[in-house]
Amino acid sequence: MNASVNEIESLRDRGLLEKQFDDPVQQREAATLGMWVFLSTEILFFGVLFASYTICRILYPHGFAYASRETDFLLGTIETGVLLTSSSLIALGVRAIKLDQRALAAWLLAGTAALGVTFLVMHGFEYHKEWTEHLIPGLNFARGGPYARAIELFFCLYYFITGFHSLHVLAGVCVIGGLAIRVARGAFGPERFTTLELAALYWHLVDIVWIFVYPLIYLVGRAG
Amino acid sequence: MNTLAREVRGAHEQERKDPGSHITPVWHYLAVLATLLALLTLSAISALFPLGYWNTIVNLMISVIKTLLVMLFFMHETEARTLTRTTSALGFVWLAILIGIMLTDFLARSIVPPPW
Repeated sequence: MNASVNEIESLRDRGLLEKQFDDPVQQREAATLGMWVFLSTEILFFGVLFASYTICRILYPHGFAYASRETDFLLGTIETGVLLTSSSLIALGVRAIKLDQRALAAWLLAGTAALGVTFLVMHGFEYHKEWTEHLIPGLNFARGGPYARAIELFFCLYYFITGFHSLHVLAGVCVIGGLAIRVARGAFGPERFTTLELAALYWHLVDIVWIFVYPLIYLVGRAG
Repeated sequence: MNTLAREVRGAHEQERKDPGSHITPVWHYLAVLATLLALLTLSAISALFPLGYWNTIVNLMISVIKTLLVMLFFMHETEARTLTRTTSALGFVWLAILIGIMLTDFLARSIVPPPW
């Protein structure tokens, strides 16, 4: 892709290349780099919650195993599958827009957003079930026995981690849903897809966070 | 002078090589998805076997493999520049330092009791 001076000028005229960049490649790489800096702060945001989880689990290993068995194993597993599938859909969506298959890209992005909504609905059912089972510390919590405090701690972390994760999923659904509409209207193409790529990076990171939430929240003490 | 000119040209050629324009075949994405779902099933099943500490270790290792697959293929780290790759690893490195140093404190408390 050896862009000539004329091509570069034409890209600038059409608003596809900002003044500070030499060519579209440099522009896109700068955007990707900036997005990764933002994603690093997201990793540390969730990382602090995972760090507290690590300490609490070291302090109360049996209580955490007991509490984890109270979560919904089947729903958690399906939710993980849903997020993994949505990640592959958005990756295929970015590929489609690079190939100028705009209708396909719009559908793939809409599918990603729809799977995100599916995830949120399933999580809503989980939260509802936990409400009826009195597992919400501070609001509706009724557990006795030697592990009561540890279970309370586990569910505090559970709501913080999954709650913030769901907020991230919700933000992703809004952004990707909006992008799906803009793709359908022809706002993007092989020359202009950085926004989609960055939204996809964000969505993949939300997926990665869940990849670690799944074993730490749902799979502890299942065999015991 | 000549060396400098060559270096400048070399740098430009590296810039011109457009990683974003690379088109990955569809089956790559589908194969990665199939592997991810297989790993998910594996971690769900492994959790049902009583392996003690190994349950957690096996499941976290599966999570790391899944993360690497997502980062390398879905997030196109295989095609990214070294600078982007380094930056993307940094968040995880800082997190490892955070948790690692915290653990040196918590795990050593029974060995080295506080002096007060």
